[in-house]
Amino acid sequence: MMSPPKKDNVFRALDRKLGAVAEFTMRQYRTKLSTWVILGVGFIAIFIVVLFYVDSMQQEIEAIDNDGDSMDWDGDGYPTGQERIYGTDPDNPDSHPGTFSPPIAPDPPEKWINEDDFDWDLSARGDTTVGYDDDGDCRLSDSTQSQKDNNRNNVECDIILDYNEMMGVWAEPDSDRLVDEDPDEEKYAKEAIHRAFLLAIGKMGFVFLLGIFLPLFLATGLIREEMDNSTMHFMLAKPIARRDIFLGRIVGYLGIVWPYIIAMGLVVGIISGFAGPGDSFFRFADLGMWMAIIFATMLATLVYGMLFCALGTLWKRGIVLALPFAAWELGMAILSFGAPSASILRFSVIGWSLNIIDAASLVVWPNMALFINMGMWGGGHGAGGYWDNSLEGAGALSAFASDTGLGISPIATIVVSTFVLLFQAAVLWLVGSAIFKGKEIE
Amino acid sequence: MMPDLQQVGEGQTQQWAPNVTAPVVLLENVSKTYGKIHALSEITLALSGGVTGILGTNGAGKSTLFNLLMGKLKPSSGKVKLFGTDPWKNPAPYARVGFVPEHEKMHDWMTAHGFVSLFARLNGLTREEAKSEADRVLNFVGLTDVAHKQLGRYSKGMRQRVKIAHALVNDPELIVLDEPLQGCDPLARTTIMNVIRELGKMGRTVLVSSHILHEIERITEQIVILHNGRLLALGNLHAIREKMDNIPHTISIGCENPKELAKDIINNDAVYGISFPSGDNLQIQTHNLNEVHRELPALIVDNGHKVSSIDNPDDDLESILNYLTGGLTR
Repeated sequence: MMSPPKKDNVFRALDRKLGAVAEFTMRQYRTKLSTWVILGVGFIAIFIVVLFYVDSMQQEIEAIDNDGDSMDWDGDGYPTGQERIYGTDPDNPDSHPGTFSPPIAPDPPEKWINEDDFDWDLSARGDTTVGYDDDGDCRLSDSTQSQKDNNRNNVECDIILDYNEMMGVWAEPDSDRLVDEDPDEEKYAKEAIHRAFLLAIGKMGFVFLLGIFLPLFLATGLIREEMDNSTMHFMLAKPIARRDIFLGRIVGYLGIVWPYIIAMGLVVGIISGFAGPGDSFFRFADLGMWMAIIFATMLATLVYGMLFCALGTLWKRGIVLALPFAAWELGMAILSFGAPSASILRFSVIGWSLNIIDAASLVVWPNMALFINMGMWGGGHGAGGYWDNSLEGAGALSAFASDTGLGISPIATIVVSTFVLLFQAAVLWLVGSAIFKGKEIE
Repeated sequence: MMPDLQQVGEGQTQQWAPNVTAPVVLLENVSKTYGKIHALSEITLALSGGVTGILGTNGAGKSTLFNLLMGKLKPSSGKVKLFGTDPWKNPAPYARVGFVPEHEKMHDWMTAHGFVSLFARLNGLTREEAKSEADRVLNFVGLTDVAHKQLGRYSKGMRQRVKIAHALVNDPELIVLDEPLQGCDPLARTTIMNVIRELGKMGRTVLVSSHILHEIERITEQIVILHNGRLLALGNLHAIREKMDNIPHTISIGCENPKELAKDIINNDAVYGISFPSGDNLQIQTHNLNEVHRELPALIVDNGHKVSSIDNPDDDLESILNYLTGGLTR
């Protein structure tokens, strides 16, 4: 009995023509030295940043005794904080817990540095009271009740958090005196710098640098170089629509670029997962961020690939046409840090790609804004007010983090941004193939 | 929006079927202009079956004509049809067409077999079909033993044969060869000419362009002469050639020892003059080109001469053009 001929399904059909063009393109790029130079330069650029990050994670951040209670002012060997807890007089050398029965041994002074860390739940929303005076310099002081409640919410020794829904910003924490005033600088800074690094390398390193420069050098010539080398004649003499040649070339280029992005993302993700701060030996939750970074970069290379390939088809020096686009996208990237809801960002590719990373950061690290606010406040002491007190890392994190600007939930933002980027790619594909179709080739 | 999964061409959902009553190649009043320059003017031509030589000097419009046929250029006016379909709008007819471009550039990093089989998949073949098809066509042009060598290491003549092999995938009905003999050594020339003649015998429609009359003459008698973008003559070369024989011709031979070769050649009655433009070159003047071309190969082989090229400088075609235009071309 004869077996019936196999029916063409989508994959078999793709395998025939589109697959052949894509495979051809991948093999062609693999044999070119320039491809490896470009990928190598991208690797070096990313890894220099990673080295700086790993180095900063190794560095010790000086622990500051913000409230001075590690000092032994009366010279009895007991730090001020310990004496305060036991109710002895920190200013009298004869009054200390060593006179108790049984006597209490003196604490080493380090125990009273960073002893009053943030006692906040980062899931707090507006108008809540948080904080606990661990070292008792508020609770146990002999101040009056109203002195212990500067913020006048009838709760002694707490901090009021106020979230302005309209503006979408946190106000400076309104704290009673000496509550959470001696935070752990290192713990906060490491976490903040780690998050800032992920956002910075994700946005500028992956989406911007790799996302624009890989397509700029690898996609602009996809059609143009074949036309200039007059090797396009072989392909055009076959029964395949130019629209499909265009698509097949893009698929082939993605076959080089996407595995590279995935590999880079995973390698940097694993390094930062091990080097990053935290109690567990690996930061598994961060993998969500890396998936978003990889995904956003893949979409960016798709859209820019279509765009630059179309520009290359349009003009011999398509790279000249592509540069203003790259400059525009850089401007939009910078704008998105400061004004993530600016409507002009909707007319960019990078705005939508960065939305995906920002949205993922809100899923992985809920209430990022409060975390930044916490570090900016930094314990509430110091002379210069809100900004001057900020803990190390808070400024960097606040520069690279932004909300998604769409005013919808993070998951919805990721879905909408993905669809917009795919739509942009489809439109650019049609525009690019229309340009290619109208081209006369000598 | 979706890619053309059937991949038969623009906007088609059903398998493309050729118009059986239409000629394989049809041009109606086709002109191609670039600004004020007329690359082709008012060409009307219908061809079906057999080998046709497209003759013309450089710039006569041969490549423009082929590029129009291959859907790379859009005619400024007039109609171009392959099997009744406009190739600029629909690439589907190329399922039945093989094209050998004039350009020398190839994908040097591929092997001949890899190149032919990969491009065969663009004809809609699966990987396995494409591989066996590549074996078949490479065998047809006699490259089976070197099929897995990189194209970059091939000689010019071998590359031409690979290009021809790639055009023969899927057994096309129309084969278009743009200057297939250019730059080939004598052996490759003979092989390629044999292949083309063979295709003609198999009933295919073959278009071969050249600017050298005698190359075409050895392949076919049916010719089209283009001159300055116009169709100057169409028909049997034989009749024209007979009247041309008494016009003096020059043959240039590149060889290792021109003086030795000259001694052997001068005995031929048709040769009336010999000159040595350089140390490895020899020029023969003759009234009877046919006879010289008939005798020359045997003469070279019998006496063991090492010959690197045999060229008829353009003046062969120039003289026929001169003859056809009544001296107006000069």
